[in-house]
Amino acid sequence: MARYSWPDKPTLLSTAVKRIDGPDKVTGRARYTYDINRPGMIYGKIVRSPYPHARIASIDLSRAQNAPGVRAVLAYRTPGDELLYQGDPIAAVAADTEERARDAARLVRVRYEPLPHVSNETQALQDANAPTWSTTQANTRPGTRQETGDLDAGFKQAAHVVEQTYSTHVITHVCLETHGTVCEWDGDKLTAWVSTQGVHQCADGFAQALGIPRANVRVITQYMGGGFGSKFAPDAQGIICARLAKTAGAPVKLMLDRKEEHLDTGNRPSAFAHIRAGITSDGVLTAFDGRSWGTGGAGAGSGFPLPYLYRFPNRRRTHTDVYINAGQQRAMRAPGHPQGCYLTEILMDELADRVRMDPVEFRIRNAPPLAPNAQWVNYFREGAQRFGWNRRHATGDPSPGPIKTGMGVSAHLWGGAGRGSQAHVDIHNDGSVVVACGTQDLGTGTRTIVAVVAAETFGLPVSAVKAEIGDTNYPFSGGSGGSTTAASVTPAIRVTCVDALAALFARVAAALGAPADTLVAEGGRIHVSGNPSKGMSWKDACKAIGTEPISVDGKWQDGLSGAGTSGVQFAEVAVDVETGIVRVKRILAMQDCGLIVDTLTAESQAYGGVIAAINFALFEDRILDRETGQMVNPNMEWYLLAGMSDVPQIDIVLHNMPERGVIGIGEPPTVSTASAIANAVRNATGATIRSLPLHPHKVLAAIEQERAGGTL
Amino acid sequence: MKAFAYVNATNEKDAVAALNTDGMALPLAGGQDLLARMKDYIDSPDRVVNVKNALDATVTAMPDGGVKIGAAMRIVDLYEHRQIAALYPAVNAAAIEIGTPQIRHQGTVGGNVNQRPRCWYFRNEEFVCYKKGGSRCFAVNGENQYHAIFGNDGPSHIVHPSSLAVPFVAYGARFRVIGPKGEREIPASEYFTMPTLANVLKENVLGDEELLTHVILPAPGRVRSGHYEVRYKASHDWPLAFATVVVALDGTTVSSARVVLGAVAPVPWRSKPAEAALTGKPLDEDTAALAADAAVGEARPMSGNAYKIQIARTAVKRAVMRAAGLRTV
Repeated sequence: MARYSWPDKPTLLSTAVKRIDGPDKVTGRARYTYDINRPGMIYGKIVRSPYPHARIASIDLSRAQNAPGVRAVLAYRTPGDELLYQGDPIAAVAADTEERARDAARLVRVRYEPLPHVSNETQALQDANAPTWSTTQANTRPGTRQETGDLDAGFKQAAHVVEQTYSTHVITHVCLETHGTVCEWDGDKLTAWVSTQGVHQCADGFAQALGIPRANVRVITQYMGGGFGSKFAPDAQGIICARLAKTAGAPVKLMLDRKEEHLDTGNRPSAFAHIRAGITSDGVLTAFDGRSWGTGGAGAGSGFPLPYLYRFPNRRRTHTDVYINAGQQRAMRAPGHPQGCYLTEILMDELADRVRMDPVEFRIRNAPPLAPNAQWVNYFREGAQRFGWNRRHATGDPSPGPIKTGMGVSAHLWGGAGRGSQAHVDIHNDGSVVVACGTQDLGTGTRTIVAVVAAETFGLPVSAVKAEIGDTNYPFSGGSGGSTTAASVTPAIRVTCVDALAALFARVAAALGAPADTLVAEGGRIHVSGNPSKGMSWKDACKAIGTEPISVDGKWQDGLSGAGTSGVQFAEVAVDVETGIVRVKRILAMQDCGLIVDTLTAESQAYGGVIAAINFALFEDRILDRETGQMVNPNMEWYLLAGMSDVPQIDIVLHNMPERGVIGIGEPPTVSTASAIANAVRNATGATIRSLPLHPHKVLAAIEQERAGGTL
Repeated sequence: MKAFAYVNATNEKDAVAALNTDGMALPLAGGQDLLARMKDYIDSPDRVVNVKNALDATVTAMPDGGVKIGAAMRIVDLYEHRQIAALYPAVNAAAIEIGTPQIRHQGTVGGNVNQRPRCWYFRNEEFVCYKKGGSRCFAVNGENQYHAIFGNDGPSHIVHPSSLAVPFVAYGARFRVIGPKGEREIPASEYFTMPTLANVLKENVLGDEELLTHVILPAPGRVRSGHYEVRYKASHDWPLAFATVVVALDGTTVSSARVVLGAVAPVPWRSKPAEAALTGKPLDEDTAALAADAAVGEARPMSGNAYKIQIARTAVKRAVMRAAGLRTV
């Protein structure tokens, strides 16, 4: 096993390598699922429930069937079925143009029997006579219950107790490329171009749902515009697309529109918690008692970690899943963590103020001990220095004028372990190299890091390696979730390339007059270790390969990847206390991810995570009309997202830890930003806003409440 | 989208004639409102009349020292027009805050003034509200955080969406309109209509076959003006509230004032109490605060938008401060 390790003195790893597909993306050459056009292709459109809760009385497809250009219609549901949210799919059509498909879909006549519905958590929990989200299930389900230590003893030790209710809201994934598929049948073989973060998982999904052998399904995702946890399965739209294509006898493209994307492709559940927490007079946490709830929509859970990260020796937590008539939640970038982090971190600042402690010092006192995957204490100290934390004032900016500034801090953790992934490499006799892995690049730079690892191993420039991904014809790799991709894929590439290189060394050892195991590949040459003149160019070496290429399969092995990351973020905000408008001025993100493969793509992950979290903190909000249960902002006009002017200065400090192996970084940087911003707003205004998003109405209300006597 | 006939009108007369049809005909200029309404099935006209080539797109100097702005003028061109910026700085200030660069390069002055409400109930086809021929305003018991805080007698509780209408009213503009019976001029302050059950399908007095052709701004005289908009986001967002203030000075004392608020009422909301509070006072921060308080005195918020009162107050205060040449924050 010792054979496989990362190089001690890498030439490419941990350097800034530009994305190999960057030029294709910015010039439009890169073809996303949306861009796939097949000969004879037609377009699909889904008919969805306008009601949050209803029973289907009847479905009449005849008018749609006879509409101009229509090639296929299908009922996805049957009369008597219960529809559980606005956007629940019912039927579908395919027509020769996208416009005709849309028009025809509106001709499908569905008769509904509307049922009482539940629009939000308050309605679901109001009393025993509340309407229920389903005719067969209650509005709540008991979730996890955890208890550690002696809660009573913990509160007895406490000199101060804070008791408050905190909450976060539902946001949707808002993938810039919506979910969708192009399906094409060749007899009983299906090829599906899918905007997915799991090509192999998607193929499994198609095979199961359509009742065809897995071997008959090929899924392709060369480029995709964001998934964030919402794009692992074919989903209803994928299966419908495949069925329409079968019926029509033609390839079908079915991409969702923005409204469908908001309604039916997942979301981050809400999180509420009523918390009592105690500390000693010198700022040591003693007890945490939390009762939490949240909604993941129609029948989906809403779990999240609580308390988050800090050491509460005596703690109890009970959780209740609340169901409402809304689209189901899906994993969303660090599932549960942004919620648990916010609920805990805003509490932490309230506690710190009780004992007049600096929030950084307070956190250091209560953070888990220093470990390779637990760098918080170091990050608090180093980050505070980098950020200019010593310029932070106590709670409430004392300066005159309506613009108040403040700083906040917050911490997070994540796993990100590697797991089974396979790879294949071919070295041809002209020196060209193809590395293939059935992973996919959901925008994180996976294609680039595949090429970087192969090039590093072969001593070649990145441009000399052809990286093939995004296709189930390539060796198995798992879905890109849980920040596992880099930690799964790069070891597989390394192992496979090391084996291929050994095979090449064996071919040229005689010519170089040295044992194969004394050879090294670097700088485009193969030579005897420690004797660069005794060697030959990579190209000349490959001439020894002959007509049959060196062709090697390999897979992920333990020892090249790690698990567990830690991060700390600092935020500075400016709050206009006469309007309640919050502007984020600066974010500093301290983060580790083990061995950094490519500093550019790693930093890019952190930038993206921070920006997404600014949206969570300030702007995004899935708003369901409380009366009708229908979403009022299923667009990008009233579902607010940061524009360029809303994005602050973001400084990323990545801590390279090669000895830990590769660890994913897709999720952790998005966890704690919102909490740091919320704490900065509190520091600026002196008013505590105990729910996200930090909409002006809440900021103004909190300031008014603070002026009227405060809550401290 | 429903199939429609398309008419490309090249002069005012043909444009008006093309609007006369048995079915529904709607004018198209920059398309920033109409196309979205059609795609979202909010409006499904039988005929779309392109009026962009039929209407004036220039600024013309008037004999009285004022200007005449063609309705087909793009918002970006209005913003870049030096005479407008010099004579009517609040128009200039409002123009640059509209939408995005793309919207400003496509949208027109007439389209901005005449666009339909941005109310999310109006814009989603599920909600058949008063403005779509229904019999209720969903905002009353619903999600009304961005709805009106003035003029809330109903039946509709929208806020008027035009940014340019507010300074136009404040500068005392007149709107030139053409129709089958010829042309007429309407004071901007009388153009926009408070909702009643009889007129709730529209936001102004424009007839089905009429077109707004020009905005005529009188010579500003010796006035100072200020404009201030409050947005949640710094980029591409609708204002939560905004205000234009135009004051005439007698020495250092305000001799007359016009205060108009936007995004707070079904029409550009002229605040007589704020104007009274300014008149006879020195143009300074204290007066600005008094005017701001006076402006929101008659606010009647809905269940979820009382916070907009403070935002409207701030918009008025800072618009006055800008008119006074003071720093606002």
